[in-house]
Amino acid sequence: MRKRGLKFYAGMYRKILVQDLKSKMSYRADFIISTFGMIMTNLSGFVTFMILFHNFPEINGWDYHHMLFLYGFSLVALTPVQCFFDNNWNLRFMVQSGDFIKYCFRPVNVFFYFISEVFDVKGLGQLAFGIGTIVYAWIKIGIPVTPLVILKLLVFLLTASLFMIALMNFAAATCFWIKGSGYVMVIMFRFKDFAKYPSSIFEGIFKIIFTFIIPIAFIAYYPSLVILTPDNVPLLSWISPLYGLVFVYLSYKFWMLGVRKYDFTGS
Amino acid sequence: MSDLSVNEAVVMRNVCKDFKVLNRHEGLKGSIRDLFSRDYNTVSAVKDVTLTVHKGEIIGYLGPNGAGKSTTIKMMTGVLEPTSGEILVNGKVPYKNRTENCENIGVVFGQRSQLWWSLPLIESFKLLRDLYMVPQKDYEAMIELYRSLVDIDPILHKPVRQMSLGQRTLSDILAAFLHNPPIVFLDEPTIGLDVSMKAKIRELILGLNKEKNTTVILTTHDMGDVDALCKRIVIIDKGTKIYDNDIEHLKNYFGSYRTLKLKLADDTWEEYLIDEKTTDVMDVIMEKQKEKKIKDVKILEISTEEVIKKIYEGSAK
Ligand SMILES: Nc1ncnc2c1ncn2[C@@H]1O[C@H](COP(=O)(O)OP(=O)(O)OP(=O)(O)O)[C@@H](O)[C@H]1O
Ligand SMILES: [Mg+2]
Repeated sequence: MRKRGLKFYAGMYRKILVQDLKSKMSYRADFIISTFGMIMTNLSGFVTFMILFHNFPEINGWDYHHMLFLYGFSLVALTPVQCFFDNNWNLRFMVQSGDFIKYCFRPVNVFFYFISEVFDVKGLGQLAFGIGTIVYAWIKIGIPVTPLVILKLLVFLLTASLFMIALMNFAAATCFWIKGSGYVMVIMFRFKDFAKYPSSIFEGIFKIIFTFIIPIAFIAYYPSLVILTPDNVPLLSWISPLYGLVFVYLSYKFWMLGVRKYDFTGS
Repeated sequence: MSDLSVNEAVVMRNVCKDFKVLNRHEGLKGSIRDLFSRDYNTVSAVKDVTLTVHKGEIIGYLGPNGAGKSTTIKMMTGVLEPTSGEILVNGKVPYKNRTENCENIGVVFGQRSQLWWSLPLIESFKLLRDLYMVPQKDYEAMIELYRSLVDIDPILHKPVRQMSLGQRTLSDILAAFLHNPPIVFLDEPTIGLDVSMKAKIRELILGLNKEKNTTVILTTHDMGDVDALCKRIVIIDKGTKIYDNDIEHLKNYFGSYRTLKLKLADDTWEEYLIDEKTTDVMDVIMEKQKEKKIKDVKILEISTEEVIKKIYEGSAK
């Protein structure tokens, strides 16, 4: 058999993506409306945030601009899951109807083939919004701009995004076992809203849950500390890239285990 | 298994497939309960099926609804693991080598498109060419072959989502043959299609089989497909193989049966299946003539449709 390596998969993803974008562009009205929709969604989220926090000078030692940084950080970190892994939301329908079988007839990795099918442009608006927010907060806080800090920012943004990807993989893959996996996905997706707050507001048991079991504290809080409090970075922040990779790997294995256990209903 | 079986397209030996069906419950609470539930029913979809498919053959894999046809195909394509028994496809165990097996097979499940929904067909073809790593030269030759067999130009630039069911099925069949696999599985490819599209698709399958010597395993409920395509048929019922031979052999088996067609006063035809061993055809005609006026009479050999119907009915008893 001919080998299909990383280069093959990257090339294939790019080709599928280009075709998908081309066809989306051809539905111009659709494209404009969804672009408008995503700007409004982000705007309303932002305004809600402003109203909520503008009058709070400090939460647990976090001032308004720190909160804003965290907010922007979470928006950017959530972009990859939104753009690249959106097809997970369709998984349970395909599994229940039996349409999922079509992903198993190609000589490529099933997870790759499934995920490559959908690229969600709506995530890009969120990315722009997030970057804008980070830049604004960055200036207001007065963090120095050095190549090292920028590099750290990129690495830890990437790290943060791994956690949400893994969480959604886990949530989506539950549909191979249970019927009500829609609830699991929605609950997971709602949890991400907590990522916008410093994890120090959680106490006791919640702190443990949100750090180790459903690690949303890693979606923004721990990674962003590397930038926000460079003199006082907890160990958990430093190990988060490794933890993120492991977590994504486990979620992938769980997803693939689901495929193997699945009995392909429908004729 | 013997070394010879490696040279066959498909070899199945004593293959069984059981499904464990969980008695599921509704809602979130139900879902959580299901996780720990041991409340299973076992469904035996395929029972002890032994079968050899030779290279280049088109076989009709027939059986009534729920007989286990699709389940067999899912095992041969490597997505389902048999509960017991052995399967070799192109000499390899499909479930253990899914990706490798997929390079050497094409699959069409009727009414379930596998193409990119929003892309024009030609773009889907190009993506498939790259996925299967088909050399450009072979790809172009295949497109030319398609052109000679069927009029593809009207659909080539149409997004799949804008196609009619017939066009979509046609596209799916073309896509299944694109990487020139030695075996193609067609599960009810003509379901829901009109007469002319059915004819077109049969011609295409026949043409591709002839040109490329592709083995075709076809399931269908349309005996027109069987008459047009298959020399050999395999029939399963309730998961068990009940017939495996040439179609002609089967007709001889019912050699004493005749289809009697009567044309009535309002130009409609009525059909009766008569066993000449027990009933005289002339008696039936005379009997019917007493009831209604008959304008024309035809006596035909038993049709494939009737043969299969008799087999299904026979095994149901
Ligand atoms: N994933 C599954 N889980 C449980 N039972 C199944 C599953 N798939 C098939 N079955 C059962 O196995 C039996 C055979 O089903 P199969 O789909 O193979 O039949 P078929 O011959 O393809 O029928 P049809 O002509 O209606 O398509 C049926 O009783 C069906 O209900
Ligand atoms: Mg079927």
